[in-house]
Amino acid sequence: MGRKARKNDSLPGSLDMLILRTLSLRDLHGYGIVQFIQQSSANELLVEEGSLYPALQRLELNGWIEGVWGVTPNNRRARIYKITAAGRKQLAVETRKYTKLTLAIARVMEAE
Amino acid sequence: MWRRLSYWIDSARRSEALREEMELHLAEKAAELQADGMTPECARAEARRRFGNVGLKHEESREIWMTRFWSELVQDVRYGCRTMASNKAFSGLAVLLLALGVGANTATYSLMEAILLRSLPVADPESLAVLNWRSPPPYNASKEWVHVIHGVQGILWPGDKGAMVSGMFPYSAFEALREENPVFSTLFGYFNGQNHNLGVRGQATSAKTEYVTGEYFRGLAVSPAAGRLISSEDDSAGAAQVAVISFATSQNRFGGPRNAVGRSILVDSVPFTVIGVAPPEFFGVDPAMAPDLYLPLHSNVLLDGARAARMYGDENFYWIEMMGRLRPGITMAQAQAALAPRFHRWVAGTAKTDGERAKLPALILNPGAEGLGSLRRQYSKPLYVLLAMVGLILAIACANIANLLLARAAARRPEMAVRLSLGAGRLRVVRQLLTESLILASLGGALGVLFAIWGMRSLTFLLSNGQENFTLHAELNWKVLAVTAALSVVCGLLFGLAPAIQSTRPDVMPALKNGRGGGPRRGAQHVLVIAQIAISFVMLFAAGLFVRTLNNLHSVQLGYARENILLFSLNARQDGHRNPEVATFYTDLRKRFESIPGVRGATLSQSSIISAGHAGGAYRGAMKIGAITVQGASVMAAGPRFLTTMQIPILAGREIDDRDGPGSTPVAVISERLARTYFGNENPVGRRITFVDEKRDLEIVGVSANLRYGGLKGEGSSTTVFAAATQFTPDRVTYALRTTGNPLTYVRSVREIVRQADSRIPVTDVVTQAGEIDRTISRELTFAKLCTGFAVLALLIACVGLYGTMSYNIARQIGEIGTRLALGAQRGAVVWMVLRRVLILAAVGLAISVPAALSASRLVKSFLFETEPNDPGILVVAGVVLVSTAVLAGYAPARRASRIDPLAALRHE
Repeated sequence: MGRKARKNDSLPGSLDMLILRTLSLRDLHGYGIVQFIQQSSANELLVEEGSLYPALQRLELNGWIEGVWGVTPNNRRARIYKITAAGRKQLAVETRKYTKLTLAIARVMEAE
Repeated sequence: MWRRLSYWIDSARRSEALREEMELHLAEKAAELQADGMTPECARAEARRRFGNVGLKHEESREIWMTRFWSELVQDVRYGCRTMASNKAFSGLAVLLLALGVGANTATYSLMEAILLRSLPVADPESLAVLNWRSPPPYNASKEWVHVIHGVQGILWPGDKGAMVSGMFPYSAFEALREENPVFSTLFGYFNGQNHNLGVRGQATSAKTEYVTGEYFRGLAVSPAAGRLISSEDDSAGAAQVAVISFATSQNRFGGPRNAVGRSILVDSVPFTVIGVAPPEFFGVDPAMAPDLYLPLHSNVLLDGARAARMYGDENFYWIEMMGRLRPGITMAQAQAALAPRFHRWVAGTAKTDGERAKLPALILNPGAEGLGSLRRQYSKPLYVLLAMVGLILAIACANIANLLLARAAARRPEMAVRLSLGAGRLRVVRQLLTESLILASLGGALGVLFAIWGMRSLTFLLSNGQENFTLHAELNWKVLAVTAALSVVCGLLFGLAPAIQSTRPDVMPALKNGRGGGPRRGAQHVLVIAQIAISFVMLFAAGLFVRTLNNLHSVQLGYARENILLFSLNARQDGHRNPEVATFYTDLRKRFESIPGVRGATLSQSSIISAGHAGGAYRGAMKIGAITVQGASVMAAGPRFLTTMQIPILAGREIDDRDGPGSTPVAVISERLARTYFGNENPVGRRITFVDEKRDLEIVGVSANLRYGGLKGEGSSTTVFAAATQFTPDRVTYALRTTGNPLTYVRSVREIVRQADSRIPVTDVVTQAGEIDRTISRELTFAKLCTGFAVLALLIACVGLYGTMSYNIARQIGEIGTRLALGAQRGAVVWMVLRRVLILAAVGLAISVPAALSASRLVKSFLFETEPNDPGILVVAGVVLVSTAVLAGYAPARRASRIDPLAALRHE
């Protein structure tokens, strides 16, 4: 569980959620996922690139994503990951949990 | 879960895919960085830097689908196999040592399992209960027998404090317990009859017979291999005479179970019909007995006559054994609580006097699952001793392998130091080393199974000591193999752990710096060597005791010929020969045997001299010379020229010869000791000895030299009375032929003569006199052989260990020894330096093991004959053997040390 984003102290386990969210928008290969997360967070979230692959393996083992061999935009052979129906459900669960948690934290921070 | 498994199975391909993915990732990252203006090299380096440890991440990812434990195990096993293959001498030696140890243990355990632990081959053996009783000592203060038991047929075995324990009951007790039994669904009885002559199509053999009640087979829940088994209707007076035969008998005599059913057989000339065949694995209720023939209980009246008929009505005659099958849900304790009072009431009714009432037997129930324990009683102690010995061998082998591993661990210290300093966890390295020892152990265990198969055959052969149909079949079953596997693993852990821990001590710096210095201390090695020496000594001492015992037995003065005598037995009475014709029959046969070319003499007696102890005398009542009662003399019915044939010297008068027929004056020859005791210096020839119970006076016609009557051990008495066999015709006779050359070459002629005389009578117990004597000391013979073998093996292994340790130490001390030699030390002094260390190790080992050996030897006291368990002579001999072997093992390395070239050694340093 000790997976840390480098710059941002993102919440534990959030990498899985970010990957699922990314893949729910489009199918991507590993490097593409990293790039997408960085770009869409305006470079606020730096994914520790090495940690991506254990996470992908775990998600695939849980049946939330599915990797198939395909071709990258640069025409190189790569494993392209798709989100599965179970993955979408899981994303919904994690999103709910995440929202609840951030709201709770926000409440604490705003309390007087 | 199954997905994880399929990933795992597919792991090589997935692992490759993962690697490709990561490489693509790095390449794209590098391309991006390059596009931002970095040089290609910088970009690649930066990409890697940002990615983190590629190898570790790869591992971590793999770990997701393949637990780390397994992946590392596979690595360890591969690495271990490579290491072993690269060091064949070491691995071979270790595997061989372990195989010997494990093999010996497995073989012994399989025998124990067969004898002591295996259940009866019947359905649900756990619900069987054997009925026994226990009673206070039967003798009163004046040593008279006062007990409700007036007679027995079977064995009473002693309980603690003189108590009597037995499984025999009167028939009416069986009837009393059988009716309306609340705890047993079936109660059945049986007893071992004597051997009967079994005639099939005119061919006679001797068959072990068990008489069983009608409920026997139903109670044991045995189903027939062919036909049907004895049922309640068969066991009643007036029922058809039916028999069940064992599977082996059906094969040997009828060519298979199907052919046997419905056939007529003669049992001691009484016709029976075979109605069925017992299943092949069934051996009755006593593994030692294994009957050939099962007859309904009441048929013993036909075969054994009036005496048997009387046994049924006699409430004080104990003969039938019982077993019951518990009703479902009833425990052994509940059954005992229910039956004990019932038996007590019954037995109280049979007591005739107050003395008898004071010590009534009490019923006890024992688990029947293992069958009756006669084999167990006979072999359990020898087997435990054997198991202890092979256990010690295994311990030595383990100590030795641990020693070898320690030495090798020292050699591998640099390797381990490199691993540890590269960041391998200590536990990880220990685990890898343990995996290596476990591989060794598994190989040793596998090879050990092969040794065990061979060992089991030889052990069974030794224990059966030539009995033709020894029923004990040790086999490698799952239980035995599981024990072997467990043993191997435990050994692997035992001998692997210490070296593994030692070689991964965290002080890696000295090891990295210098391959030779700073190794592990020698303490652990020395402890192991001392342990081996100590154990070897214990075994040497035990071997010495057993060999001494055997020697003592061999040097017992028999007083009669041992070589060139053929013995065999006949029982003509069982096949209808009656008095007085039977005496003539035996005499005629004797004359015909005598006429066989090469036979120098033929005689007969009621049993062989050596087995007379348990066969019993020809007359057992009181004897008197004048008014004086003769104490402790044995009577032997002997044929003409018995003394000459057996080469027993005649000291006065004559021996029994052809003159002494059924009609002439009864005569006796007495032994020298008897003559001395009752006649002093007078000549007993012409005097009389009275057999009180038979009201007969025998005229003493001669005096023989003393002979060892009965067994070789203590009980052999020398006070013997020989009576004429024609005047005291026994049922069964044993002939003795004195032959030229090997006695067994005459067996064929003997069988032919008997067949011509009466083909119904089988010739049994064919053996040479020497063979029969050795059979009585077979246990001592076996122990002496085995123990000597084991001791030599132990000593050999210990010496290998000692040699290895010394060689290793010298290799590490090359520098020191070189310096000494360079400074002018004499080569002799170097030899002495090494030998002194050997002697110190041996001395410490001895100091530990002498007290251990002395206390352990008391446990085998009952196996010894005229040998004290603390015999100082044997102690000294064992010590000398041990020390000299140790010195011999240490001498080679010592010599090598003294040959070290100081220049080379110093340069090396």
